[in-house]
Amino acid sequence: MSDTQLPALPLEKGAWDEKELSRRKFLEITFWAVSGITAVGLLGTGARFLVGNSLEPTTSSWVELGKVAELPKGTVNRVNYAMKAKDAWREVTQRGALYAFSADGANYTVLDGTCTHLGCIVQWDSAENQFRCPCHSARFTREGVVVDGPPPKPLRSLQTKVENGVLMAQI
Amino acid sequence: MSKVGQWIDKRTGISGPVRSFLNYPVPKYVHNNLLYTLGGLTAISFGLQVITGIMLTFYFDPSTEGAYNSVDYITYTLPLGWLVRGLHHYGASAMVILVALHMLRTYFFSAYKKPREINWLTGVLLLFLTLAFGFTGYLLPWDQKGYWATRVGTSIAGSVPLIGATIANIMRGGAELGQSTLTRFFATHVMLLPATLALLIGVHIFQLRYHGMAPAITEKAKAQSKSFVPFFPYWVVNDAIAGLGLLALLVYISATQRAPLEFPADPTSSNFIPRPEWYFLFYYQILKYFPGGLEPVATVLIPLFIFGSMILLPFIDRGEERRPWKKPVTTIAAIFYIVVIIIFTVLAG
Repeated sequence: MSDTQLPALPLEKGAWDEKELSRRKFLEITFWAVSGITAVGLLGTGARFLVGNSLEPTTSSWVELGKVAELPKGTVNRVNYAMKAKDAWREVTQRGALYAFSADGANYTVLDGTCTHLGCIVQWDSAENQFRCPCHSARFTREGVVVDGPPPKPLRSLQTKVENGVLMAQI
Repeated sequence: MSKVGQWIDKRTGISGPVRSFLNYPVPKYVHNNLLYTLGGLTAISFGLQVITGIMLTFYFDPSTEGAYNSVDYITYTLPLGWLVRGLHHYGASAMVILVALHMLRTYFFSAYKKPREINWLTGVLLLFLTLAFGFTGYLLPWDQKGYWATRVGTSIAGSVPLIGATIANIMRGGAELGQSTLTRFFATHVMLLPATLALLIGVHIFQLRYHGMAPAITEKAKAQSKSFVPFFPYWVVNDAIAGLGLLALLVYISATQRAPLEFPADPTSSNFIPRPEWYFLFYYQILKYFPGGLEPVATVLIPLFIFGSMILLPFIDRGEERRPWKKPVTTIAAIFYIVVIIIFTVLAG
């Protein structure tokens, strides 16, 4: 920049201060250094602020899915859960859909109904004995294994326990 | 100039630049071809989005508890709310169509060639920003469509190898869609994107003025290329008439078909079939064909290829030839893109 020749000023206006011009390069470097430091500081702070708490690991919690006695054996049952949760600055009721299955009424398989492709909720197709995703027609077995379609992983299987006759799952 | 005008001009020096802008010489072949109104019409549609968008923010409640009800209130209770939201909703589609047509005109007239590469690149960025407007906009009513389309959209980002989960979480403001997502999308939609888009439109128009219109491609147009008319009122009047026509069309559509609002967002819903806006449908359909480990091909490579080829276009096609019928490779490539988009949109529909 400083090697750019300055245009001559109109005579009636005056002239460039030649003595000052010797510092031109130095002032330019100072300007870019100050601006650069400020920009890096602002960008770093701004980026950290905007990322906020979005990368904090999620905490798992146990949710109640219903009384074991009321869940029919041998069929896949859709169970919705609701729990109090913190959503940023809000206290909300977080809801979700799970699928519970038990052949014997003692051991339960609970699957997260979220399709592992792009996050749609799968439906249980009792005629086909498979889960079906309404988005891209993916299919999963009762155990959540991919049979057909684009999902890269099986449906997420959750830890379960039965307490006081109530089936619970860890989400 | 009136005395008041002179007073202002002496203190601001505004009349010179304004006069120079308005008296800009427009070649007759441009003035006589309505295809050249597409750029101005796109700018008008953006202006309409800004005006209706500002009006909507007077009533919109950007909270997960209140967003849906506020949009329902705007659409069905507020006097003329149906009109303002309708213009904004259908205007968004109009803007996507106009950007696409404007780019096709530029493409087929080879107006991206040297020395107008930067103008083409800002155009590609403007297309990207327009789509980002659409993506961030339709979550805001917090209805089923917006919620699920955003869930799918952020999951697409989440499938990027290695850094996908981080990107998706930053987009959503957390692991799940919620208040942080809505606030982020709202801030992006009403602050970040309009400011960036307006700035880029400024660069785009400055570039256009700096280089002038791209050379004519037909013999008939070339014959008119040495004859000019001033930008105001000759070209402006074409844009104004086209803009009024666009507004009339959008008012008609808004009056005959209320801007849609689905049921409120329900994270447990499995019978709602998520579908993005029509301009993302082709891509939504393409995602179906890349199972398992091939998923990043659809979520990373295809978008990179599409945008990458658009960015590289002026650096690859550097020949002197500008007539599309003499440039089979670029012409067939564009027709291929158009046909693919139409086919996959129809398949998804």
